[in-house]
Amino acid sequence: MIYIIYIALGFMILGLFFASFRFIKGPTAGDRMVALDTLTTILVAGLVVLAYIFQRFIYLDVALVYAVLGFIGVIVIARYLEGAL
Amino acid sequence: MIYLILILFLLVLIIGSAIYAVVQRDLLYAVIATGVISLVLTAVFYILQAPDVALTEAAIGVALTTIIFIITIRNTVRYESDNDKKNKIKKL
Repeated sequence: MIYIIYIALGFMILGLFFASFRFIKGPTAGDRMVALDTLTTILVAGLVVLAYIFQRFIYLDVALVYAVLGFIGVIVIARYLEGAL
Repeated sequence: MIYLILILFLLVLIIGSAIYAVVQRDLLYAVIATGVISLVLTAVFYILQAPDVALTEAAIGVALTTIIFIITIRNTVRYESDNDKKNKIKKL
């Protein structure tokens, strides 16, 4: 059962690699912003999986706070790109 | 083994984003790179069994730093020019 969790962690590392590749290479600012949002989503999922591996229930709070606050940062960058901040 | 790969990848991503933020002339890209640094640093603190530090880093690094830097870029210029450097060299 625990091997499935490790396989999921491996696929998350693969997703982090491709998202960071798009962050470095992306030609426009929108690509980099979406890459940051993708990195946030994948890392929050990774934090939840690590909380299951460590067997600590209190670690889920970090994932919750980051899922709420990363949204605000991306929204601020999007409003600046729109020119209406 | 998977922990080693994860930690190594996260540390390489932190160093790469930091170098990118310093070298980049477009300041908006540098701010996004700072957000990536804060994001990955949260995961590193989390893996090193310090969830309270990770919580503080998530609250300050994402919300406060990004918003303040974006407001600063809006009130000043977005592109960093190299005219100042050349003028300083000429004056010296």
